[in-house]
Formats: sequence, structure tokens, C-alpha cells
Amino acid sequence: MTRDQHQRVIWTIGGGKGGSGKSFITTNIGICLSKLGARVILIDADLGGANLHTFLGIVPPGPSLSDFIKKRVPHLKDVLIHTGVPNLQLLTGAQDLLNAADAKSAQKRKLLRSIKSLESDYILVDLGGGNALSVLDFFLMSDGGILVVTPEPTSIENTYRFLKSAFYRRLRQAVSSFSAKSLIDEAMDRKNEAGIQTPYELLREVRRINEEDALKMVEEAATFHPNLILNQVRSKKDIEIGFSIRSACQKYFGIQLHYLGYIVYDQDVGNSIRKRRPLVLENYRSKAAQCVSEIASRLANSHRPLSSP
Amino acid sequence: MKRIEEQTHYEILEVSPDADLKEIQRAYDHARETFHADSLAIYSLFSEEEMRKIQAAIEEAYRVLMDEALRKSYNQSHSHLIERSSMEKQAEKSVKSSEIKSSLSFTDISIEVGEITYRGKSLKQIRERLGIDLKAISAETKINIKTLELIEEEDLEHLPAMVYLKGFLKAYARALNLDAQKLIEGYFQLFQERKKK
Repeated sequence: MTRDQHQRVIWTIGGGKGGSGKSFITTNIGICLSKLGARVILIDADLGGANLHTFLGIVPPGPSLSDFIKKRVPHLKDVLIHTGVPNLQLLTGAQDLLNAADAKSAQKRKLLRSIKSLESDYILVDLGGGNALSVLDFFLMSDGGILVVTPEPTSIENTYRFLKSAFYRRLRQAVSSFSAKSLIDEAMDRKNEAGIQTPYELLREVRRINEEDALKMVEEAATFHPNLILNQVRSKKDIEIGFSIRSACQKYFGIQLHYLGYIVYDQDVGNSIRKRRPLVLENYRSKAAQCVSEIASRLANSHRPLSSP
Repeated sequence: MKRIEEQTHYEILEVSPDADLKEIQRAYDHARETFHADSLAIYSLFSEEEMRKIQAAIEEAYRVLMDEALRKSYNQSHSHLIERSSMEKQAEKSVKSSEIKSSLSFTDISIEVGEITYRGKSLKQIRERLGIDLKAISAETKINIKTLELIEEEDLEHLPAMVYLKGFLKAYARALNLDAQKLIEGYFQLFQERKKK
């Protein structure tokens, strides 16, 4: 590896529902990583209401992704906004592209290539809570997808729904026969005619028609490792829910989920958002800030760019 | 991707094939807590029938793996399955234990404790199931046997006050690889119940 072949790590934060803390977590993890000396870019792609800038206390409108798409500027780096935090830049407006039903997948791929070529160590993409197909594709194309869940049935239900969509989407991309693809499409509908309720039943049906594709599905399941952050934890029992979700994913999907950590419920979070000052800058000693920084250092350690030999 | 029926007892409990009894006990407690009807973590995921299947598999795995003779014969009859998964699991396990340690070692937060608690009698039960002698616990924890016995008997009158007792409870729970907080909480409840009477 040569010196200028820099390795970027892209994390996408998505899943669940609005209000589970994805934007808060994206912003504050980004700041923690930048404080560790890494260059970080935050990308706001939240369809439900992009406002990472507010979390950072930046007043819009600055340049946004659409200036690049409409070719008003030549390079993607020209629309990056300086956040005032050293090493930390922000890209806004990515939600427009995810939202556009007519945006061609070629265009999305091109954008992803441009994102991947940005000069940075870490790129964090806030996907918001939806599970539109283009959101799923973004989630799957990153080096690591991070799910943010709160210990409430609504949040957990939505997370499993998102995870199932993402998992099936990934399986669909992996298989090659048309018949296997259409079976997977059918399985997405709970009331499908084939009566497929679980991933195992889907695998069984695919194996019946195409052994090779069934093998590919097993391989995909073995390499799919989404990450989990449990937010707004109020008790020790809540913390253990993360481990239980991991076990449930292993039993239901046959996948290995990584439990990155948890963030305790903390009044200081709401206060910092109202002040439009990121928590880890405003109140580093608060409990929630400590939890976030612990998660950030875990991310930095497990995905440290390889150094040249 | 393996169906419940295809998973080995070790995979069901998510332990490595060389797990000791303490690890199995802990894994079993975790699995029971995860896969019961009111468990929040699995909300909306499994049908009733799937749940019954999983629960039955957990109980069966626990029954076999906690019994030396049964486990031995199971290992022999399933050696082809266990050997193969042992390699993959090994790597996974090292990640897992470090993950658990680092996430749970962060104790600087105020939290209430879950519903499942241990008391003296359950402690004794678990210890006996694990086949550990009280002497061994005493040697490991440096707590004298008499005190350990009082703890197991829940003899509050002869036990020291909660302030001092806490340390003993912590050490004893750790020796069994149990969650110390759950034992302290259980004892705390015990004290309160006795007070009312």
C-alpha cells in the first residue's frame, strides 16, 4: 500500500424510527473521532428531516450536495461545510438524492464513488429512520451499518423490520437466478403465497430451486455484521437488552450482530440540543458523553486503517 | 444460517464447546431472560411456535451440558458437528468476552436492577448444580465457611449489617460467575421483607 492510497472508513447510521437519537449519535461520535486526531466528514442523508447542522449549531443554508449534482461546483469537496470543530466537516443535502424516486441507480453509485474519494479518515452518514430501498442500499454499501435502538417495543419492532429489509436486500443482491430473486421479493411480504415467514424458510425454498444460490445466501449471512447502539438506557436490565438482541438476531436471521455499546438516558442530552452545542463539547463529563466517547474509541480501534508494511 | 433444530447445544446457548459449568450457567440465564414471552428484546420477531421451539432447545441444551455423563455422550455422538463449529466459535468467543467486559465494566451510572435476582437459597442451588464445594468458594473468596453458610441460609440475624455484607455477597457472586448486583439486590429485598414482618 502506498502512502496516498488512503483508507477511508464509512459508517452509516440508520434503522429504527425517528427520535431514537441517530443524529445526536452521528454528530457526537464524529466529534469524538475528530478529537482523536482523525479527519471526519459527517453526511446528512436523513429523509425525515435533515438537521445535523442544528446539532452542530451551524446556520443554514450553506452549500449543499445539490450544488454538486447540478454541477454548480466541480468537486464534491467544494460543498463541504466547515463546522468550527477542527478536523470535522459536514455535507448536507444528501437526503434529496435518496428521496428522489427518479434518481437513477447509476447516479447514486456515482455519488457513492465521489463520497468514497473524499479526503478523510472517517465518513459518517446519518440515514435517518426510513427503510426506502435507496436508504437500504446506502446502509449496505458502507463498511459498517450502525443501528440505533431505544429500549422500547416500537423502536425494537422497527429495527427488526429494517434489519429484515436490509438483510433480504443483501441476499437479493447476492443471488444470481431470477427465480431466487423473485422468491426473496415475495418473502418480503408477510402474507406471501409460498408461506415463507422466516429467513430459514426462505433458504429452504431457494435451495429447492437453486442450490448454488442457497449457498450464496449462507455465505452472505455469515459475513453480514450490522452494529448496534442502544440509546436512552435507564437500567442495568436495559443494557442487557443489547446482548439479548444480539442473541435474537443469531437465532432468527443466523447473523452475528456487534453490540457496540449503550448510551445512558441523560438530561444533559436534551439541554445540549436546545443550546445547539454538541454534548461532547458542551459537557464532556456528562454520563451520556462518556458513553458516546467510549463507543467512538471502540470504533476507532476496531477499524483502524491498516498501516503500510 | 442454521435452523434451531440443526444447532448444537453449544450453538443454542452460544457457548464454546469447552465452556465450563459456570459459563454454561451464565449463558443459560441469559438465554432464558432473552427468550421468554415478555422479553422486550425479541418483540415482534418470533411466532409462538418458534418461541416454544427455542425454549425447549434451551432447556434441553442446559440439561445435557450441565450433566457430565450426558455431555460426554452428546459430544461423542455429535463430534462431527461440534469439531467443525469449534474453530469459528473460538474467534467469536474472544471478541464476545472482551465486548462484555468492556461494556459492562462501565459502572459509573446509576441504575436500578432487573427483576431477576438471586438470594441465598438460589445461590446454594446454583453452586450445587455447578458441583462446587463450599470449601472451594471459601478458598477463592477468603470468606470463612460459616459466613458463607449463613449467606446461603439467609440467616439475617447472624449476618453482619448490609454495609459489610455487600462485599461478601459480591465476592461470592463473582466466584460463581453471577451478576453481583443481582445478589445484592436480592438480599436487599430480603432485608426489607423481614423488616415488615
